[in-house]
Amino acid sequence: MGLIELAAAKALASSAVFLFITLLMMASAKRISTCIVLFSIQSAIMAAEILAIAYASKSIEAYAVASLVITVKVIAIPWLLFRIIKSLKASQDVAASTTGAQSVFIMAGLILLSFFAVAPYAKTLRLDEDLLAAAIALLLAGAFLMISRKKALMQVIGLLVLENGIFVAVLATTYSMPLVIEIGIFFDLLMGVFLMGLFVFRIRDTFEHLDVSKLRRLRG
Amino acid sequence: MNLAINLIQALLLIAIAPLVSGVIARMKARIQNRHGASLWRPYADLLKLFRKQDLIPNTASVLFRFAPTILFAATAAAAAFVPMLHPAALFGVSGDIILLVYLLAIGRFFLMLGAMDGGSSFGGLGASREALVSALAEAPLLLALISVAILSHTVSLSGIVLTTVQQGPLHLSAVYAFALGALVLIAIAETGRIPVDNPSTHLELTMIHEAMVLEYSGPSLALIEWASAIKLTLIMAMLAGIFAPWGMATSASIAALLLAPLALIFKLTVLAVSIAVIESSIAKLRIYLIPDFLGMASALAILAVAFTALMR
Amino acid sequence: MSLVLLLLVPFLTALIVLTCKQSRRAVAVAISAGALEIAAIANAMWRIRSVGVLQFGRYLRADGLTAFFLLNIGVILALVLVYSVGYLRHIPLGRFSSPRWFYSLTFLFVFTMIAVYLSANLGMLWICVESTTLASALLVGFYNTKGAVEAGWKYLVVCTVGIAFALFGTIALYLAAVKSGVDPASALDWAVLMNAAPSLTATSNLIKLSFVFIAVGYGTKIGFVPMHSWLPDAHAEAPTPISAMLSAVLLNCALYALLRFDTITSHAIGSGFSHSLLLIFGCLSVAVAALLMVVQRDLKRLLAYSSIEHMGIVAIGVGLGGPLALFGALLHTFNHSVAKSLMFFTAGYVRENFSTLRMRRIHGMARLLPWTSAGMVVGGIAIAGLPPFGLFISEFMILTAAFGTSRYFIAILLMLAISVVFGALLHHVQRMLAGKPVDLPVAKPKLLPTDFAVMGVCAVFLIVLGVHIPGAFANILQSALVVLK
Repeated sequence: MGLIELAAAKALASSAVFLFITLLMMASAKRISTCIVLFSIQSAIMAAEILAIAYASKSIEAYAVASLVITVKVIAIPWLLFRIIKSLKASQDVAASTTGAQSVFIMAGLILLSFFAVAPYAKTLRLDEDLLAAAIALLLAGAFLMISRKKALMQVIGLLVLENGIFVAVLATTYSMPLVIEIGIFFDLLMGVFLMGLFVFRIRDTFEHLDVSKLRRLRG
Repeated sequence: MNLAINLIQALLLIAIAPLVSGVIARMKARIQNRHGASLWRPYADLLKLFRKQDLIPNTASVLFRFAPTILFAATAAAAAFVPMLHPAALFGVSGDIILLVYLLAIGRFFLMLGAMDGGSSFGGLGASREALVSALAEAPLLLALISVAILSHTVSLSGIVLTTVQQGPLHLSAVYAFALGALVLIAIAETGRIPVDNPSTHLELTMIHEAMVLEYSGPSLALIEWASAIKLTLIMAMLAGIFAPWGMATSASIAALLLAPLALIFKLTVLAVSIAVIESSIAKLRIYLIPDFLGMASALAILAVAFTALMR
Repeated sequence: MSLVLLLLVPFLTALIVLTCKQSRRAVAVAISAGALEIAAIANAMWRIRSVGVLQFGRYLRADGLTAFFLLNIGVILALVLVYSVGYLRHIPLGRFSSPRWFYSLTFLFVFTMIAVYLSANLGMLWICVESTTLASALLVGFYNTKGAVEAGWKYLVVCTVGIAFALFGTIALYLAAVKSGVDPASALDWAVLMNAAPSLTATSNLIKLSFVFIAVGYGTKIGFVPMHSWLPDAHAEAPTPISAMLSAVLLNCALYALLRFDTITSHAIGSGFSHSLLLIFGCLSVAVAALLMVVQRDLKRLLAYSSIEHMGIVAIGVGLGGPLALFGALLHTFNHSVAKSLMFFTAGYVRENFSTLRMRRIHGMARLLPWTSAGMVVGGIAIAGLPPFGLFISEFMILTAAFGTSRYFIAILLMLAISVVFGALLHHVQRMLAGKPVDLPVAKPKLLPTDFAVMGVCAVFLIVLGVHIPGAFANILQSALVVLK
């Protein structure tokens, strides 16, 4: 039993590394469904962390938040995105504007940058430096995915990764916000993804393609 | 005692290399729903080739004749540095990862020269492609190994393995994760497996290693094939030794000595199955995409080195 | 209780109006609900005036600042609903673009904006601002044309990213508060943070970081310049009454959120940092928007850039600090709402008659549409910031404050920008009004009495506020200022 507990503790302590690995894999992914699965894994890692905090501090609120994360981010949103992909019947190609190696390099650079950005705050505030760096890395990675991927659904996934980063930042501070606020934020996220899915269908219907880099009629 | 074990290790690696190659081929065949050749087929091939005559082109020089020998010698020498049953290898004290990498590089260098010396256009074609792959693979290989070496405070491979064995599996950190990622990609490139190179193709568009050895026959070809199998087993053993060395005999007790070969067989089997599965499920990359593939390995290796300073 | 009523009326209307299959019934329900809502707003404002601060539960609160912005949304809601009666005769009917969907989405939009104003808790403020984006995205893409879909997508994505940054800023502020000893359960409550603000000086780096993210995040919704790319598209492609609501109310809504954070930050670490940041954003917005207004070809895009410019002026006002500049800034938000609504309404009539908003193709409007031209002239002069209309007063106050605090660079920049805007508007409007009248593609629809009423009311507001600010209005403004001190 001790070994399992040790292993679980070690796994949770290195959840930042797992998040980095998912980011690097997302950078080199060539299909949209791969990115959705990786986003689901990221959310699952977050949920595991929250469950660990809940187990350690025995708080009902943390369990509630963990179950929210699991229902909304691990199950509901990826399911929604998969349904959209299936109904769109479009190609799953990610349409990246940078090659695989360039994306991985940029992602690695963003990870290192986030460590440097976090260094002054972690020391003065005595926070978990790894998780905070993972949060900033997720934020920057989400922004990078939104900029460099030309498919509309990839922009949605980039946005979701960005919001994941903000959640990990809340985790790193180990002060959870009031439950009502958390529920509200999750509800907003779900509605946001739903609306974006709606718009993706509209884009496909009016423009006959899903390449947002070609949405350039309104300029100036 | 140490010397005996180390000598046995080195000879063992050289001896079982064709078997590993046969196992991978058989497993690939099974995955692809074929019956597949026997596991001992590579030995039969080597025996057959040793009995045949060495045909040497008229225009070839000394280089063509001796390149296979140098390749085999360098690869066998490199095999002596890799710990398999016991953390310390034969020349473990005076040899290190840099020596290992460059022994393999010497072998490859002479193979390339020999291929170009053979006079056929395929030789030159294979040599230039091999130069591309090896030039791009060298930096991430060294960086990944150095990142692990920094953590173990030693450059010798046996020292690295010893440190990992003693620390236990719960002390693996981000550095190991990224170094593993980089080394897996590099291993695929160095050993010439799919998706970088197809070891069983002879199409001009796709062959790299096979193009270089196209002109060889008889014992020379046998030596080259054997050296290639040794390199494959060597790199597999190196991966297993750096990232999962538990099971190796750290003491001279009977139990440890019995456990070590079993552990080795288990790890090599797992790696062989993984290689077979990867080869059967991914398509080979087009040659101009190989720098991209190796670029990813470079990024991971750089990240591994950077993390030695960031996380502990 | 009156606070809950304020929220309940639009929400229920949004649901009820969906069930009205006939457009006449939908319009009737919408108008009566609008009247009810305005009555509720008036009631709430009266209660705030007598009690000071209204509170309901943990998450709803209304004080002087809320009252002022509620007045804003009440006036604009009335104007927009009356205008929409005439406007809805002309929308192309589709599966989702019928009057009942229009009114349902509009009332949902109003519900989310009022929820922003009534939020006591910074987390709830964030949730409501994000919901305004979600509620208005479908309105921006209402017509389902290529331009509308592109504008709606860009609006949704850019604003959601911006608001996500604002969430990060909110969390940073929360962390700073908790680290300084505020009870975690109430560390997001605005009043609690205001009380605890002096003790937050220890975490000043974190508060600065949080304000930067807040300014960038909510600034995206306000339309500050590096983050404004969604604004011209969204305001141009939305249906005209919705464009008016976006320009007149939504921008103020986001500004309200920024003001709440600015007060906390100023009380905690002094106003130097936050106000400098607001001045930078304001000057950038004013300069870039003024220059871009010269080269516009589409009438509604021109008005959208004008909104960016005016929001920049408001930001400069808030950034200058001091009672005069702040009074001017708040007054400017109200004046701008009314003037921009007037301009958007006239743009709507232009579109109905000429079937296009390309200013190059519109000539001789003065002869063809005399009343609409009158409205456009009044609105154009108002937006350019000339007397006798209200915007002149508010801009003058801000300029005076700039000179008063020796911020000459900003004052000169502001004057230059206003001159450029005046020139641009003169050029564009004059080209549309004068010249040989083009042939109207459709038979000229008559202006309904509602249209006259709407334009007239706007003009009256502008003139009254430009000549003499009524005492009651000034009182509302003063009580809002007290909250911000």
